[in-house]
Amino acid sequence: MAAPTLTERRPEIFLAVLLSLCLVALSLQVRRPNGRTVGEGWLLTAVSPFVDLVTAVRSGVHDVGTWATSRRALRVENRALSAEVEELRGELLRLRDAEKDKGRLLELFGALPSPPPGTFPARLIAVESSGPFHTALLDRGAGDGLQLDGVVLARAGLLGRVIALGPRTARVQLLSDNTAAVGVLLTHASRGGRVAVAKGDGQGGVSVEYVPTIEPVEPNDVLVSSGTDGLYPGGLPVGRVASVRRNKTLFWEIQVSAAADPHRESIVFVLPPVRKSDVTSGLSVMERR
Amino acid sequence: MKPLRVAIGLSLAVLATLALGALHVPAPPDFFLLVVADMAKGGAAVPAMLVGLPAGLLEDTLLAPGHLLGLHAFSKILVGYLLATLGARMVVEKPLAVGGLLAGAVLVDAATLTFLVWVLKGDFLPPAPWLLLARAATTGLFGGLLYAASRVPWKQRREARRRVRLT
Repeated sequence: MAAPTLTERRPEIFLAVLLSLCLVALSLQVRRPNGRTVGEGWLLTAVSPFVDLVTAVRSGVHDVGTWATSRRALRVENRALSAEVEELRGELLRLRDAEKDKGRLLELFGALPSPPPGTFPARLIAVESSGPFHTALLDRGAGDGLQLDGVVLARAGLLGRVIALGPRTARVQLLSDNTAAVGVLLTHASRGGRVAVAKGDGQGGVSVEYVPTIEPVEPNDVLVSSGTDGLYPGGLPVGRVASVRRNKTLFWEIQVSAAADPHRESIVFVLPPVRKSDVTSGLSVMERR
Repeated sequence: MKPLRVAIGLSLAVLATLALGALHVPAPPDFFLLVVADMAKGGAAVPAMLVGLPAGLLEDTLLAPGHLLGLHAFSKILVGYLLATLGARMVVEKPLAVGGLLAGAVLVDAATLTFLVWVLKGDFLPPAPWLLLARAATTGLFGGLLYAASRVPWKQRREARRRVRLT
């Protein structure tokens, strides 16, 4: 028996269509307790995958938008924070410098608790030691009260003297300069002191001349300024004997390790120049007060 | 002639339903079902369903059970299809059988309505059995009588009476 064709099934199809139409019409009228009609419920169920899809897409777009917005805001914030960090870093460096300066000043005041009147602190802003002439530059000058031949003193000891003055700067001749010399007192705990002259060797070092070999000199003997040269007051640390050699002359060849290293100092004291009366009396720094 | 017959049948069904409703008859016959059955008796399913649609809609409009337009239309279309299918497969000649078939159609109609209301509204509201049976009985009885009446050869009888009178 052959299966019925579509034409033969026409009443059944018609029945299905009519009943479906009725069912749809009915379902559109029936209202559920939640306020929706059955048809709406069915339609909502049928379209819920699409609703979910649209919701997901919308949510995705919203997320992307939020991400872009927050990324932009974060970038702006990041830039602001980076600028702030840089600023704070700079401030931190300045504060550290200030802290270091404070420490150095305290050390300076510790080394020279009662500096003589006319003493000024100054920053050592440049050191020139590549040629035979070793000099340094200070950030204070004649306008700040500095005077020519002012004695420059670091926390560890004598550095040199002012040889040129500008309104706001001063040029310092360092002890290691080829043409610099300072009268020193070679002191030893057991043997007392012996006057000599320390000279710059032009190569960053200081040597002591004219100490006869009959005088006992040993490494680590301390050198302080004698105050008899008319340039530097007495009693300032100059350095320690680094090495002692006997040469063909009658004098020792003594190398000195300078007490103050200009490359490690950033703040110095500039003492007023030595007066002639101080030289004749041989007063030390403290005594000049 | 069929559309006119359907229109007249539906109009009469509306009038009869309203009239019996006004008289508070507890179990009036389903006149709309009779119209559908009349269309389905030849075994034509599509016309029967097409009549079932307006008949059911009219019944919905008149009775409006739960204000659901289309409820009776659904059941009448289904009943129309079933009656037409039966009419195409078997020959029902006797008025009693026609009445029984119509009574059964009323039961199917009621069952369909109950099922639909249950599905759509969630309320299982079966009709009172005695009312349903009474309605099935009145519909079967009225339909059987109509069928029997429709089978009487009124024209021939009138002609024969005329001839007798003339002779």
